[in-house]
Amino acid sequence: MRQQYARRTQVLTSVLGLIAFAIIVQMTRIQNSAEAAVFSQQAENYAYELKTFYPDRGEIYDRNGRLLAGNKTVYEIGVDLNTVRDAHAIAFAVSSELGMNYDQVMDAIQNPPEGLSYIVIADFVEAQQALNLQELKKVLQEQAAEGTMGGLTGLQFKSHPQRSYPEESLASNLIGFVTREGRGYFGVEGKYDTLLAGNSVQVLVPTDPNKAFEIPHVSNGTTLILTINRDLQAAAEQILDKSLSTYGAKSGTIVVMDPRNGEVLAMAGSRRMDLNKFWDYTSIYDKDNQFNPAISTPYEPGSVTKILTMAAALDSNTVTPNTTYLDTGSVLIGGVTIQNWDRQPWGLQSMVGCLQHSLNVCMVTITDRMGAGVFYDYMDAFGFGHLTGVDLDGEVSGRLKVPGDSDWYPVDLGTNSFGQGVTATPLQVMMAVSSVANNGRMVVPHTLYAMVRDGRQYNVPAQFAGSPIKEATADTLSEMLAISLEAEASLALVPGYRVAGKTGTAQIPVDGFYDSTQTNTSFIGWGPVDDPQFMIYVWLERPAESIWGAETAAPVFAEMAEKTVILLDIPPDYIRQQLVAK
Amino acid sequence: MNIPNVNHYIHAYKVAPWRIQRQWIGSALLAVVALAMVAALYLIVTSRAAIAGREIQDLTFSITVSQQVSGDLQTELASLTSASAMERRALELGFRPVEPDEVEYLVVSGYSEPEPFILSATQHLQLSALTIAPEYNQSLLDWMDEKLLSSRGMQ
Repeated sequence: MRQQYARRTQVLTSVLGLIAFAIIVQMTRIQNSAEAAVFSQQAENYAYELKTFYPDRGEIYDRNGRLLAGNKTVYEIGVDLNTVRDAHAIAFAVSSELGMNYDQVMDAIQNPPEGLSYIVIADFVEAQQALNLQELKKVLQEQAAEGTMGGLTGLQFKSHPQRSYPEESLASNLIGFVTREGRGYFGVEGKYDTLLAGNSVQVLVPTDPNKAFEIPHVSNGTTLILTINRDLQAAAEQILDKSLSTYGAKSGTIVVMDPRNGEVLAMAGSRRMDLNKFWDYTSIYDKDNQFNPAISTPYEPGSVTKILTMAAALDSNTVTPNTTYLDTGSVLIGGVTIQNWDRQPWGLQSMVGCLQHSLNVCMVTITDRMGAGVFYDYMDAFGFGHLTGVDLDGEVSGRLKVPGDSDWYPVDLGTNSFGQGVTATPLQVMMAVSSVANNGRMVVPHTLYAMVRDGRQYNVPAQFAGSPIKEATADTLSEMLAISLEAEASLALVPGYRVAGKTGTAQIPVDGFYDSTQTNTSFIGWGPVDDPQFMIYVWLERPAESIWGAETAAPVFAEMAEKTVILLDIPPDYIRQQLVAK
Repeated sequence: MNIPNVNHYIHAYKVAPWRIQRQWIGSALLAVVALAMVAALYLIVTSRAAIAGREIQDLTFSITVSQQVSGDLQTELASLTSASAMERRALELGFRPVEPDEVEYLVVSGYSEPEPFILSATQHLQLSALTIAPEYNQSLLDWMDEKLLSSRGMQ
């Protein structure tokens, strides 16, 4: 009996041992078989999934935290061809919800390109439309389970962000836009495209949940806070639109800047576009430089540059405010006779009278006294002929011809002194004149107030581009300009606030000759004179109502300045002086 | 009482074949139970790690969805409060733009001019692989490896 048990045990042990041995042999064989590499490759294929993580594009805010450019979720709607049960149902649902052609959708599903298992039916679909389709899919799937319909099985939805501009066309000249490919063009979007876009990361993501910790962290694009004030920007655009209508101007620009630090507070152009419809760009603009004329359209600014000529003359001690000269109404320079704007003699004039009456003869006289070398050195120091370095995409520098250039003639010294024969953008003139408003220091205009990345905010400090004139010169000239405006009872005056500034009327060259009936009218001014907090530049192109800057650009400046002091909480001079006295 | 006989029986009992067999079987069973316990423990730890990993994936997805929803709402709110929308609503409510000569500047003691927007002044804590405790992503073998390595390091 005991022997029987012993034999049975031995047999059982042998059988089990053989089975175990066979399993081990089989395992070893499989591991080393020809198919092992295939199985191993299959396992690896399923172990990881190649995914591209696109960071959300950074947002853009104004200086008060108003969102100017954000992101919204849109959907790519596609069809997984391997799981489609009812192509008709999908084509019908998609065509009715998205307004697409039924036959085209049907054809796309039934005749896909060779080798494709997934096709995109529509992209950048609004969230609400995608939601409607998803709801429909759910309902039809429930019915399909009951055997009544094929449902929308196979219809797939993939969400992704799309750039959105809640203010639509507001500040469009300055912001720029992003195409569906995610590339920024013009303005801030173009200049800071790389920063805003962030870096996409392509990684192999493990499907094994044990390795979930290997999912990478993708930082979003950098968020930007701009220096502009949304409400001031809206006011500038409204005032500009109204002034174009009032004065019959072809186009126009208004820029508001803080002359103390170069922060651009508003920058309005007359041609604007809804940034959400970037495809309208070609129908709105004929040339790239029309997108933001304040930085990309150099023009002959005319008499506003007399500020700089006078600054150079005062700073080089060529004249003092009390220097007088006898205005005969014309002056000869380089063999060409230059006349005043009214072709009339103004008799004995001081330098204040020279600015007050905007006398060309005066400017030519003092420039001639100064000499070309000194004059052009100052113009160069003021930044003429150079880019301002503003942080906006598409900036163009104007041109300043200097002695030695093949197309420079001695008469250019005369015409350049009152802003003809020289080109500059409105922002270039503002940068140059900021030295007068800011105690001799010239600021670099900029639109970026701060950037936020990974939860940290980095504020952008003000930058200065040297001191082309002395502080005393700047103070003296500011006072002269304020007096000249007050003496002239200019339409640029702002009740309650003392401002300094200068008009500009520049004839436009047509076919090589200046046309006296077509002008660019401009005004640059700042205030309060004793503590400048804003500087405004107005440019109207070809106003029909009047050809003079004093009658068109000057009142627009006043209107803009009145709005600016309200929106920036700048107290009237008498209150401010009382507060300072306390 | 015959003591040698008793010793003989005790010896016979100790060397009985069935007793030796039982000892062997007991030892084998003990080893099997120990192995089973280790296997069960490994299974429990692995499954917990897998569940935690899946939860991390779900939470990561939830964070992405929440960020999308937040972004959408933020953009929608900005649209509803855009300059043009606010002006339109104000006009509908009977307001009109103020004229400069209607504005009176009042000095309010203690009022300070609003500072420009500060979006973030501090570093936000970001959840990353480094902040997840090793208990949630370490297998039993990993843990044993770590212990072995640390003990070697101590030696």
